[in-house]
Amino acid sequence: MIKNYILGVLLFTVSLSVKAQNQEALFEKSLLTLNDMLVNESHYSFKKAVFSVENAYLNGKLDSLAVNGQIKVLKELCSLLINGRFLAYVESDKPDVNKWASVYQVMCDSIPIIIKDQEYRYIPFRYDFDDVFGNQELSNMFISKLLTTRKGNCHSLPYLYKILCEELGTTANLALAPNHIYIKHQNKKNGWYNTELTSGIFPNDAWLMASGFIHVDAIKNGVYMKALNNKESIALVMMDLADAYQKTFPNNDGSFLLNCSQTALSVFPNLTSALIMRAEIHKKQIEKETNIDKAKQDFKKLEVEYSHIHKLGYRYMPEEMYLNWLVSLKTEREKYENKKLTNFNKK
Amino acid sequence: MVLFKDWMVRGVSACILVVSLYSPALYSQVPNPQAPSINPFPNYANNGVVNQSNNRNQIPVTPSSFNPDLNRQQQQNRNIMLEVEQNQKLQETAMKEARTDIEELRGAVRYTLQTYSKFEGTQFYYEAFKKIILLDTTFSLKENNFLVENAYFGNTLDKAEFDKIITQSGDFIHAKMKEQGYDQNSNAAKNFMLFQFFSETLQLKSTNQKHLPFKYDFDDYRGIKNYAKMFVSKLLATKTGQCHSMPLLYLILADEIKAEAYLALSPNHSYIRFPDDKGKWYNIELTNGMLSTDSYISQSGYIKSEALQNKIYMENLTKKEMLSGLLTDLADGYIHKFGYDEFVKTVIDKALELSPNSVRANMIKANLDSARMDFVLRQIGNRPLEKYPQAIDMIEKVKSQYSFIDQLGYEDMPEEAYQEWLQSMNKENQKQKNEELTKQLKKALSNKKSTIKG
Repeated sequence: MIKNYILGVLLFTVSLSVKAQNQEALFEKSLLTLNDMLVNESHYSFKKAVFSVENAYLNGKLDSLAVNGQIKVLKELCSLLINGRFLAYVESDKPDVNKWASVYQVMCDSIPIIIKDQEYRYIPFRYDFDDVFGNQELSNMFISKLLTTRKGNCHSLPYLYKILCEELGTTANLALAPNHIYIKHQNKKNGWYNTELTSGIFPNDAWLMASGFIHVDAIKNGVYMKALNNKESIALVMMDLADAYQKTFPNNDGSFLLNCSQTALSVFPNLTSALIMRAEIHKKQIEKETNIDKAKQDFKKLEVEYSHIHKLGYRYMPEEMYLNWLVSLKTEREKYENKKLTNFNKK
Repeated sequence: MVLFKDWMVRGVSACILVVSLYSPALYSQVPNPQAPSINPFPNYANNGVVNQSNNRNQIPVTPSSFNPDLNRQQQQNRNIMLEVEQNQKLQETAMKEARTDIEELRGAVRYTLQTYSKFEGTQFYYEAFKKIILLDTTFSLKENNFLVENAYFGNTLDKAEFDKIITQSGDFIHAKMKEQGYDQNSNAAKNFMLFQFFSETLQLKSTNQKHLPFKYDFDDYRGIKNYAKMFVSKLLATKTGQCHSMPLLYLILADEIKAEAYLALSPNHSYIRFPDDKGKWYNIELTNGMLSTDSYISQSGYIKSEALQNKIYMENLTKKEMLSGLLTDLADGYIHKFGYDEFVKTVIDKALELSPNSVRANMIKANLDSARMDFVLRQIGNRPLEKYPQAIDMIEKVKSQYSFIDQLGYEDMPEEAYQEWLQSMNKENQKQKNEELTKQLKKALSNKKSTIKG
C-alpha cells in the first residue's frame, strides 16, 4: 500500500516535470518562431505569432482549428460588407480604406444580416471591464478568449483587428499608449488617424495627449503614439511571450525573459516594457550577487537603466486611472472625436 | 530684369507672328478669280452668306457686278460661294500651319516665374536678404528681425529709436530686478521679471518710471488686412501684439538682459520656453500672460504625434531654426507685398537648408511650386502635356511636396478652433495651473535669493 502510494507520488511528480518540460519547449518554440519572423520578413504572420504565444501559455491546448475557423467567418463577413455597401470615399487608396472600414464594422457595429429572407443581427465584440491587465488570469488578454466570450480588451481587440486586416490583404499599425494598444492608419484624405476599438471611436491625438499620463518626451521618442511596423509588432508579441512565461514559471532564472527582452529591443529600442523587464532581471541578479563590489557597480548601471526609462518619458499608470481615462473618451466624446472620420463609415 | 524683358519681347513677337502669318495667307493663297472683274471678297454681308470677319476685305461693289440676268447672277453667286468656301478651307489650313509654326516657335515654355524686381520696394528685400545671410554667423534676433520689418516698410523705420527702446526696456528690467532683490544671474529671475514686464504694470520706485503691460490684439491677428500687425515695431508702437510679435520681442529683450529663453512652435502659434536654475522648464503664453502646461498646448487638438516625433512642435528652436523662421518671415512679407517669384525660392531654399522640417517654410515652398506649375500649365494651354516632361515633373514635385508636409504630421488648424483654444486658457482649470506654476517659479526664485554665493 505504502509502496503504491510512493510510486503514485513519484509518478505524479515525474509527470509534472514532464509537463513542465513540454510547456517549456512550447515557449522555446514560440520564441524561435517569433525570432524567425524578425530575421525572415517573408515568414511574418501576426496571426501565427500571437497564437504561438497563446498556445504556449495554454500548454498546447489552443484549439487552433476552431480559432482559425472563427477568424475565417469574420473575414467572410468583412468581404460581404466590402462588396455589399457603399463607402463615401474617393481617393486612390479606397480599396484599403474599404477593408479597414469593414473590419471596424465587424468588430464594433451591429450589422443586420439577411440569410434566406430572415434578418439576423450580428452582435459586435464588447469591452470587458474585468481584469483589463490580465492580472488575475493572463488568458483574459487572449484572442482565443475574445473569440469564445466575444468580450475583449485593449490587447485582444486591436490584435484581432490587425489579424483580420492582414487576412484581407491589407495592413494595420498597432500603436502604444500607457497600458494600452490602439490602431493607426494613414489614408490619402485624412493623413494619420486613430481607431480605438475598446469604445469604437476614432479619437484625435489630443485625447491621448490630454490623458495626462503621456509625457511629451514619450511621444517625441516614439515610446507612445507611434505607428508600429511589423517587426516592432512582433517585438510586442515577444514581450507577451515573456509575460506568459513569467506567469507560468514564476521562479525561473530570468534567462528566457532576458532573451526575449534583448531580442525585442534589438528591433524596438524604445520598447519600455522590454526595458523595464530587463532592468528588473538585472535587479534580481544584483540581489543575488555575493561580491559586494560587483553588486555596487551593477547597481550604478541599474540606476542608469532606470533613469533612461524615465528620460524616454515612461510613467506608470495605475489601473483605476487607466479605466477613468478610457471612459473619458465616451463621456467627453465631443471633445476628442475626430469628426472628419465619423461620416464616411456610415452606410 | 533682363529675363523679364526678354520674355516680354518674345511674348509680343509671338503675337505679331500670329497677325503677320495670318494676313498674307488670306491673300496669297487665294486662287485667281475666274472673272477678274469680280473681287474675290465681295460684300455679301447683306445676304448673310459670308462671314462677317471677311468684311475687312470689303471693297465697294462695282457696277459691273450687277447683272440683269437673274440666272447668271445666281450662277455667279454660287460660284462665288464655292470660291469663298474654298477660300475658307484654305484659310483654315493656313491657320493650322501657322499655329504649328507658332507652337514650334513658342515650344520653349518658360519654367521660371516672372520676376517682380521692377516693382518699387523689392530692392529693400534683396538687400535685407543679403544682410541676413551675412549676419548668419553672428546671429542677432534684434538685428535680423529689424531687417525683415524694415524691408516691408521700404527702409523707413528708425533704427536708432528702435535700439533705444530695447536698451531702455533692458535697463528697466535690470533695475526692477535689483529693486526686488532678485539674483541678477538667476535665469529664473530674469525670465520671471521679463514675463512680468509683458503681463503686468510695473513701476520703478527710484525714478517713478512706469511700464504698462502688452495686450493681445484680437483684431486681424493674422495680419491679413494689415500685414504689419505681426511686427515687433507695431507691438512697440501700440503696446498690443499677437503670437508672432510678442514672443519675438520677449526673445529680443531676453538677449538684451542675457536671459536664456527659447521660441517653441505649436499649430499657428509660438510661445516661450525657459529653464529655471535647476533645469525645470516653463512655458510662457504671452498672448494672455500666463504660464502654461505642455498638456494645454497638446490639447489644441491639432498636434499629431507624428508632428512631435518629427520635432516640428513643442521644441526649443535653435539659432539656425530661428534664422530659418526669419527668412520665412522675409519671404512671407515679400509674397504679401508683391507675389511669388524666384526670389522667394532663393530665400525659402536657404530657410529649408537651415531647418528642413520647418512647416512654414515647407508650406511656402509648396505654394511657390504650385504657382510656378500654374504658370507653366497656362503657357502650355491645351497642347498635349506629355510633350512637356519638365511640366509633368513639376506636377509630381508639387504633389510630393504636399505629401511631405502631411508626413511631417501637419494638420491645418481652422481660425475658430485656434481662437477657441486660446480662449480656453482663461478657463478655471488652466488658471489654476497657471497659479500653481507661478507659485513654483516664485519658490524657485526665493530659494535662489537665500543661497549664498561663494
